[in-house]
Amino acid sequence: MDLSVVAFWILSAVAVISAFGVVFFKNIIYAVLSLISVLIAISGLFFNLGAELIGALQILIYAVAIVVFYVLVISTVPEYKGEAVDPKYALLSAPFGFMLFMELAFVSIYGLWKSGTGIFMPQVVQEVSNAKAVAVILFTKYLFPFEVASLILLVAMIGAIVLGKKDIVED
Amino acid sequence: MVPYEYYLVLSGLLMVLGFVGVIVRKNIIALLISTELMLNSVNIAFVAFDMKLNDVAGQVFVFFILTIAAAEAAIGLGLIMAIYRMKKDVDVTKIAELKG
Repeated sequence: MDLSVVAFWILSAVAVISAFGVVFFKNIIYAVLSLISVLIAISGLFFNLGAELIGALQILIYAVAIVVFYVLVISTVPEYKGEAVDPKYALLSAPFGFMLFMELAFVSIYGLWKSGTGIFMPQVVQEVSNAKAVAVILFTKYLFPFEVASLILLVAMIGAIVLGKKDIVED
Repeated sequence: MVPYEYYLVLSGLLMVLGFVGVIVRKNIIALLISTELMLNSVNIAFVAFDMKLNDVAGQVFVFFILTIAAAEAAIGLGLIMAIYRMKKDVDVTKIAELKG
C-alpha cells in the first residue's frame, strides 16, 4: 500500500475522532485540546495533498495563535456547570446534519463537473514549488483582497481592544 | 494516491460535526470552537479541489479563511468576555434578552 494512502487513513481517523471529542466533551478544556488534535491532523492532510505552504500556515496560525486565544478566555471564565449537550436539540440535529451532508455532496459533485481547470499546468507547479505558485497568484491576481485582509485584521484588533475594555461594560 | 472524493467525504463529515456542535452545545465558547471546525472542513475541500483541478486559487482562499478565522476568534472571544462581565454566565439559554 502506498504511504500517502496510509497517512490519509490515519490522519483522517484522528481528525474525525477528535472532532467527535470537540462536539461532545463536557469539559471545555478537553474540547480545546481535541480541537488542537483536529487542526494538526488537518495540517498533515494538507502536507499529504502537496500544499506545504497552507499546511505550515495551518499549524502556525490555527494550532498556535487562535487556540491560545481560546485558552486565554477559558482561563478567565470560570468552569461551566450546566450540562454539555442540550437533549432537546440532540435528536433534532441528526436529520438536519444528514440533509447538510447530502447537500454538500450534491454541490461538490455538480460544482466540479461544471468548473474548469486552473491556470498552472501540473508540471509547472512541480517545477517551481507549491509555495511559489501560491505566492505568485496571491500577489498578482489577489493583491487587493490581500490588502483588505490586512485591514480586516487591523479592525478586528481595534474591536477586540474596545470590547475588552472594562469601564465600557460596567457603565 | 488517495482519490479526492475521500477528502471531500472527510470535509463533509467535519462540516456536519461542526454544525451538530453549533446546534447541540450550550456553552457559548463551545459554539465558537464548533465554528472553527466548520471553517477547517471548508479548507480541506478547497485544497482537495485544487489538487484535482491543478489550480492554486483555492489555497489562496484558504489563506484568506485563516485570516478571517483569526479576526473572528478575536472579536468573538472579546464579545464573550463582555457578555461574561455583564451576565456572569456563558450559557446560551440564559442570554435571551432579544427573544421576542
